[in-house]
Amino acid sequence: MDQFLQQLINGVSIGSIYALMAVGYSLVYSIMNFSNFAHGGVIMLSAYMGYFAIILLDVSFGVALLLATLGATLIAVLIERIAYSPLRKRKAPTLYFIISAMGMSILLENLVIATIGPQFKTYPIIFAESTIKLGNLSISKMDIFMLIIAAIALAGLVFFLNKTRTGIAVRAATYNARASQLMGVNVGRIVSIVFALGGALAGIAGVFFGIRYTVYAQAGIITNKAFVAAVFGGLGSLPGAIIGSILLGIIETFVAAWRSQLRDLTTFAILIAVLVLKPTGLMGKNTEDKA
Amino acid sequence: MIKVLEINNLTKKFGGLTAVDDLTFHVWENQIYGLIGPNGAGKTTVFNMITAVYAPTSGEIIFNGESLVGKSSYEIARAGITRTFQNIRLFKEMTVYENVHTACHLNTDYNIWDSLIHNKNYKSGEKQIRQEVNELLERMGLYERRDEVAMNLPYGDQRRLEIARAVALRPKLLLLDEPAAGMNPDETNELVKTIRGIREDFNLTVLLIEHHMDLVMNICDQIVVINFGKEIAKGTAQEVQNHPEVIEAYLGKREEELLHVDA
Amino acid sequence: MEYYLTVLTLAGINLMVVLGLGLLTGFTGLFSFGHAGFMCIGAYTSAILTVTLKVPFVIALIAAGLVAGAVSLLLGRLTLKLKGDYFLIATLGFGESVRLIFDNIEPLGGARGFSGIAKNSNFVSVWIVCLIGIFFLVRLMNSRYGRNFTAIREEELASSTIGIDVFKTKLLSLFISAIYAGVGGSLYAHYMTFIKPSNFALIKSTEFTIMAIIGGLGSITGSVIGALLLTILPEVLRFIADWRMVIYGAAVVILIIVRPKGIAGGKEFKDFFFVVWIRRLFNKRLAKKDPGNGGKL
Repeated sequence: MDQFLQQLINGVSIGSIYALMAVGYSLVYSIMNFSNFAHGGVIMLSAYMGYFAIILLDVSFGVALLLATLGATLIAVLIERIAYSPLRKRKAPTLYFIISAMGMSILLENLVIATIGPQFKTYPIIFAESTIKLGNLSISKMDIFMLIIAAIALAGLVFFLNKTRTGIAVRAATYNARASQLMGVNVGRIVSIVFALGGALAGIAGVFFGIRYTVYAQAGIITNKAFVAAVFGGLGSLPGAIIGSILLGIIETFVAAWRSQLRDLTTFAILIAVLVLKPTGLMGKNTEDKA
Repeated sequence: MIKVLEINNLTKKFGGLTAVDDLTFHVWENQIYGLIGPNGAGKTTVFNMITAVYAPTSGEIIFNGESLVGKSSYEIARAGITRTFQNIRLFKEMTVYENVHTACHLNTDYNIWDSLIHNKNYKSGEKQIRQEVNELLERMGLYERRDEVAMNLPYGDQRRLEIARAVALRPKLLLLDEPAAGMNPDETNELVKTIRGIREDFNLTVLLIEHHMDLVMNICDQIVVINFGKEIAKGTAQEVQNHPEVIEAYLGKREEELLHVDA
Repeated sequence: MEYYLTVLTLAGINLMVVLGLGLLTGFTGLFSFGHAGFMCIGAYTSAILTVTLKVPFVIALIAAGLVAGAVSLLLGRLTLKLKGDYFLIATLGFGESVRLIFDNIEPLGGARGFSGIAKNSNFVSVWIVCLIGIFFLVRLMNSRYGRNFTAIREEELASSTIGIDVFKTKLLSLFISAIYAGVGGSLYAHYMTFIKPSNFALIKSTEFTIMAIIGGLGSITGSVIGALLLTILPEVLRFIADWRMVIYGAAVVILIIVRPKGIAGGKEFKDFFFVVWIRRLFNKRLAKKDPGNGGKL
């Protein structure tokens, strides 16, 4: 039983990192209808930014997290400006966006290899006494901290989307970009906001990922898990992305405890099963296109 | 005369919205039948149900005595119903020739091996299609532009090309969704001639959605008027024109109509 | 000399997969991030056949294509009805699953790989297979099958309303595409003599897609240019070491923004201006006899 609870907490903690990634990916998908493969690059860069902030600038962890988040926000918006907005302006087909995103992702990954190098970097230990004992359970302080920050960030996003003027405009645009444009919503600005939001969450996720594992140039590949989680929950649905991520985190943790080499295979098996059985995911809407 | 198309109690609901409501009308062989009504009345939805883009919520669609409900779009095309689209859907980057060519494929039956080894089946099949395409382009006045890429054509020619592509399948029933949209009066007159002409040449029945009232009154043998998905009048041009509900639907909507023309 | 032949042989192997991918992505408009998976299946199939069952290489080569094709039919049946990016994500999941499955099959060496494969392919045999592949693809694209693929790419709804069975046609495209990838995998296994699942990771699928795009989607000539250029270029750029992949990535972004149709720009070799000139020069008399033959050869 203790073992079970322990794994469950682990799973939720990993799942919350996935959720931070999946939400950004899902947001971009819902407004621009393409899979932003450069999202992984932002996460990877943020992990590096957090690491260097601590090592080189010698700032506290909180400040490093903040700096990395701001940096990631900026990078995400820049990527949109450079790689997508020229395509958006000439109404290029979705295919082109995906290709541009792939190019961007290769560019970022190799830029890091060329400048920083391919070595793995490890974050310094942040909490000296790293676990809390609860009966027979020992929970790492870092896990709790991550969970809380992730929850706050996601709650903040939900608040923003539902309670602020700009947030409501974003939601309107994800619902129907063309209609919003006709109603006078500046879609270019909305797109920038969406990328900024996705980037900020990716920033937090990147630092957490770096702490949990290590920092390396190919770290962006982890976003594949976030794609799976987003599809699992229902592409374009934010609650879906969060629930899908947490579930995926839990499933992965349990599978890994049983047979670690089957962990990733399970992830993709889930993906294919969802696509075949319920392609709209757990929370996705079933819509009929208008011809 | 033979009933080509029977629409019986056709209904389509999108969530809470009823786009087409208990609609019934019958189209007879060789008729040009008009389906008219204000914007958003559900006309295109009827076309989309006939061609299986949408599944009807309830009701019957019967073509030459056979129910079409549950069939796929391609099966319906093969059964003899083809269409054009309100927002033209050509194969944009293909040439005029290739657009029509692709639609002629059903008239040939060489298989994949024939096409890899280029045997007699392939050659005679291709030759036959080539001939058909050229004849049809000639007939539609597009022969001179055959090697131009579809998306570079002037608007009127794009509309005509879409009709040519639909006719290339040798359908029995042709559905035209606002064929005169965006055309000037001269082009519209030309179009009326074309539609009449192809009806004679290919022994077609035509079901047509249109906003240009003069065009509808000019060429339709029978008309059904719908508003909010419901039938409000049925009959010949004269009968329909003087129907009070039709006048109200159109005059009452006049302002909105004008707005929609620009949109 | 040996070195150049190796590079060109690898270019040929890549070309085989890119030809198939070009059919799917460039002509049918379906994106795949799983072609390394089909390649992997082809590589292992032919390795098992020649090493364990002592089957002649040529038969193993054909079998590799057919097995990859058969798997694609299964994948296609399950996923080709999906809309938007879902199919793309499904192929991504498929490609990664294939790699991870082979990682876990211990009798085939698992993650350590499969060695001791006879070196049955070389520069000449690879390029003969490629030429046959190109020949068949050109013919396919000039038939009603090829034109149906393009029609679906251009306008799916209109395709179905002119009687094209969209699902079946997409399935055919995926099937043929997977056969090419499987054959490519077989050539690869019998050239390298050693394969391991990580040879066929997601990045490999991405590279194939980029080759097809940079060369030019919707053009067989483009696939050839893309596969050759992007296999040779990194070799030429070895002196700038790590920066070459940075340039590669930047080139993809710039190209898709500036010249989205790739180097070939959707044209085939026979349509390039210099080829047209040369052809006109030779065909003047013919052209006089048969004016306006539809622009066909």
